[in-house]
Formats: sequence, structure tokens, C-alpha cells
Amino acid sequence: MTTDARHYDAILAPVITEKATMLTENNQVVFQVPLTATKPQIKEAVEALFKVKVKAVNTVRVEGKIKRFRGQIGKRSDFKKAIVTLNEGDTIDISTGL
Amino acid sequence: MKITEKSKDGLSVVYNITVEVAELNESLDAKIKEIAPTLNLKGFRKGKVPTAHVKRLYGKGIMGDLLNELVQKGIDQAVNDNNVRPASNPEVGNVDNVDAILDGKAALVFDVSMDILPEFEVVDVATLSITRPVTEATEEEVTKALEEIAANSKAYEAKTGKAKNGDAVICDFVGKIDGVEFQGGAANDAQVVLGSNTFIPGFEDALVGVKAEDETVINVTFPADYGVVELAGKAATFDIKVKEVKAPKESKIDDELAKTVGLETLDSLKDAVKADIERQFASLSRTKAKRSLLDALDASHSFELPPKMVEAEFDAIWQQVQADKAQGNVDPDDEGKSEDELKGEYKVIAERRVRLGLVLAEIGRVGEVQITDQELQGALFREASRYPGQERQVLEFFQKNPNMMAQLRAPLYEEKVVDYVLSKAKVDDVKVTREELEAEDEEPQADAKPAKAKKAAPKAKKEETSEEKPKKAAKAKDEAASEEKPKKAPAKKAAKAKE
Repeated sequence: MTTDARHYDAILAPVITEKATMLTENNQVVFQVPLTATKPQIKEAVEALFKVKVKAVNTVRVEGKIKRFRGQIGKRSDFKKAIVTLNEGDTIDISTGL
Repeated sequence: MKITEKSKDGLSVVYNITVEVAELNESLDAKIKEIAPTLNLKGFRKGKVPTAHVKRLYGKGIMGDLLNELVQKGIDQAVNDNNVRPASNPEVGNVDNVDAILDGKAALVFDVSMDILPEFEVVDVATLSITRPVTEATEEEVTKALEEIAANSKAYEAKTGKAKNGDAVICDFVGKIDGVEFQGGAANDAQVVLGSNTFIPGFEDALVGVKAEDETVINVTFPADYGVVELAGKAATFDIKVKEVKAPKESKIDDELAKTVGLETLDSLKDAVKADIERQFASLSRTKAKRSLLDALDASHSFELPPKMVEAEFDAIWQQVQADKAQGNVDPDDEGKSEDELKGEYKVIAERRVRLGLVLAEIGRVGEVQITDQELQGALFREASRYPGQERQVLEFFQKNPNMMAQLRAPLYEEKVVDYVLSKAKVDDVKVTREELEAEDEEPQADAKPAKAKKAAPKAKKEETSEEKPKKAAKAKDEAASEEKPKKAPAKKAAKAKE
């Protein structure tokens, strides 16, 4: 599968947190993706960009927190996380970037 | 860590040190485990960053630090295992594929080359025989010194009659140029010593022959090069009112004289003078004895010298010689000699200095000569008092610069070692006359060429203090070696004399 510009649009950034690093033990990686990205799109993008086989993609919409600043109510942006399960034997080194 | 001796040539050795990959990675992990609990990264609770993640992020940087540490450790271990003492800063070379090593994929292999201090037997200091010229202050010298004091504290006595040369005239005067008073030209009750040439030329001459209560007007011309420009070369008149004429009183050596210098009786003055003279003699004879001691030490030791130390020493001397030459002070002895000849001569001196430095340090080490903090403090304050008004800055400067402290410590240490040796060695006191004592000491003074020696010293000291890092034991050595410098400029002549 060849890479395409739309693949880069489907994945925004890796999520590097304690929880995400723990998931690497289950051969899963976490990405931040656009709210509009769908599971098939994400699967295709990850497979094309990282040259790996994806077993499954789970997504979750994270609601932005409501924040008050000087009495004004504000809202952080929502975002979508994609938890990508890779095929046995495949790995992605998140910290090295693309 | 594996250490092998790769080559040895005299005192220069090269060690090959290998640290295996496994060992490298092990230490890296240990290091990461150490820092991980203190890391605070975004996305992780404080200290909860997984080791693997830290390694991925910071592995290379940490490995860099680790390599420096391991190299240092390797050097230390090489030095310890082989039971040598480095005389120079060890040089690390031959490190290949640093990138692979940083990734923890290749073994760390490097060469360390250094000079080691020679192993040598210090002569038993007790067997050294040293001649120390001593002399005592004779009655004559004391009297002479007293006469000098008397001459310097001349008293004047009022006399009647005309003033003559050598007399003091107490007078008021008002100086005028073209009938107008000028600034600084007037004084009341001024004491003018005739013939002392402290006033403008002609002023004192004109007062010869005046009597008390005389009033006169004298004409003098300011010299053309007078300090005050407006007055220079001008003719001036001075209205003089003589109050008193005093004749110099023959000052006798008695209790009165003692009182003028602040002592009670003549006897105490005599004692003080005698003590002073003897102090001078003592320091002269100590210098002599020290030279004799150093000569003895130099003669009784011959061992190989670390080439790097000799080189550093030689460079310091040579630099100074060049600087002197650039300023036009060529040592008269050096005139007409080719550069190679000079280099040869200074090389000999450098070797002697290094050798003596090593010997002295070794003696000090064996004899457990140590400098107390108090002594160091004392030296520090003495140094500071040389810069009146800036004592505080000087003290601070020294406290902030360990190198400078080492420089202070060096001469102290040397003196103590010399004292120690003098106390142990067989010292023959040879009675000499004052002339002999002083005559002999002409030499060290003449060839001390303080500028040459002293200036060269700090530089060399710095170099050596930086070399002190590898081992503490080496420290004393280097210090002593550097100590040699100030004094060993004399070595030049000594060395020459020997040739």
C-alpha cells in the first residue's frame, strides 16, 4: 500500500502518556486523530505510514474540559484518540516520529 | 572493564581499556533507574516514567555522561591496578565509532597515554650533609648600625650667630612674583636645612649668614623644569623673617637616641639592632643552606624524569626567556649564544627543577609533612595585606580560585619540607664572616632573576595544578614541582657552573 497525503491527515500525533506506554505491552499504540477520522481510514493510514499490519482499531472521542477563566466559561477542544492494535510481531517506535 | 598495558617507553605508558557492551548497558540501565524517579515528564505522573521510555528519550545523552565517567574510572583503575602515579594529565585517544557506543551497540575501547612518576628511592635525609654558613652580629656591626641610626635622627639646637651650611633656619617666608603673592609660596615656622637642597636652588644659599630675628628679601629664580608650570622659570622674591638659627647637634649613642626611636634605654636599642642584624644573617644563611641542600639532593638522585613534566617546565622557562628578550632584557650570560645552546642550557635547568620538585615532594610525603589550614590562612592574609585597601577582594579571589590557593600552598609546602630536611640532615655550621656570608649570597640574588623565575612560575603552576586531578597523591608532587620554580631560577647558574 502506497502512502498518500490523506494518510497523513488521518493521524495527528502519538499520545505519549503513562497509560499509552503501558498499552505497548499489549502491542497497542495510541494516536490522536481528527474527530472526523474513521476506523478504516486510521487503519489504512497506520498500515501505509508505519508499514505494519493492523489487527484492530478502537476509537474514543475525548470531550474537552469546561474551563473557567475570570468568570468566563471556556471549553477545551474535543479530540479523538485511536487505540491501534498491531499484528503480532509488528512494532512502532512512537518517540522517533515520522 | 579490561585494562592491558599496550606499550611502555620509559616513563610514558599507554594503557588499552575495554568496556564490554553488556557492562555498558548495565551501567546505563542502572543510571536510568537512578534518575527516573526524579523525572517529571508531561503525560506521566512525577517519577512514573517507564525506564524503557526514558532510555528511548534520553539514552544517548545519558550514555555520553556515562562514557565520560567510565573513561575516568578506567583511568583511575589503570592507575590503581598498576600501582603507578601519573605525572601528567592522562590523554585519551583512539576512540572509534562513538555513535555505535552511544547506542550501546559497540564496546568502549580506548587508549590512555600518560607519564608516570618515576619510582625512586629517596636518600635518607639523615645522611645528607649540608653546610650552613653562620655568622654572629659583632659588637662592631651593632655600633655601626647604631651610628647610622644616630645620623638619621639628627637633632638641632638653637644657636646664636650666623647660619652656616648644615644649619637649620626656622623662618617665615612669603614668596612673591612681580610683587604679587603666589599660591603655596608662603609658610610660617618652616625649617630650612641649609645645604639640604630641598628648596628651590638659590633659596638655601641665600639664607647662609642670616641671624635670628633677621628680616631680609631674597631673589631666586624658579628652575625651568619646576613642577608647577606657572612658576617655572619665573623670578621670585621671598620676604624672609628669620626666627631662629639652629646648629645640628652631635647625636650621641645614648639613652636619648633610644628614646627618639621609641625605646626605653640604649641597651634595649642595642638588643633590637643586634636581633635585627641576626635576623638578616639567619635568613641569608638559611638561603645558603637551602641551596646547599638542593645541590646535595640533586647530586644524590638520578632517575628518569617524566618527559611531559620536563617539557612543561621547559616551555614555561623558555616562554619567559622569549618574553624577556622581546623586552630587551637579555641575560648577560646568554648573550652571543645560539638558540640551540640556550635551549640546551634551559633544558638542564628544567630537568633539575623537575627532579628536585619530585624529590622534595617525595621527602615531604614520606616525612608526612603537611600544611595546616592555619598556615595557609596566614599566608593568605599576608598575601592580602600586600594590596592595602583591597584585602577583601584579594581574599575572595583566592577563595574562589583553588588554583591560586594551590599556588599559595606550594611555597609553604616547600619551605616546610626544607625545614624538615634541615632538621633531620647533618648540618654543619660553618662560621664565616659577614662578608663571606653576603658574598656567597650575591650569587643567588644575581641569578635569581626574580622576574624570570617568578613570572614563569604561576603559569607552570597552573598547568601542574590541572594535572593534579588524576590522583591525590600526585597532587603533592606537582605542587612541589611547581614550588621549585621560583627558587630554581638560580639553578641556571648552578647548572651552568656544573657544566
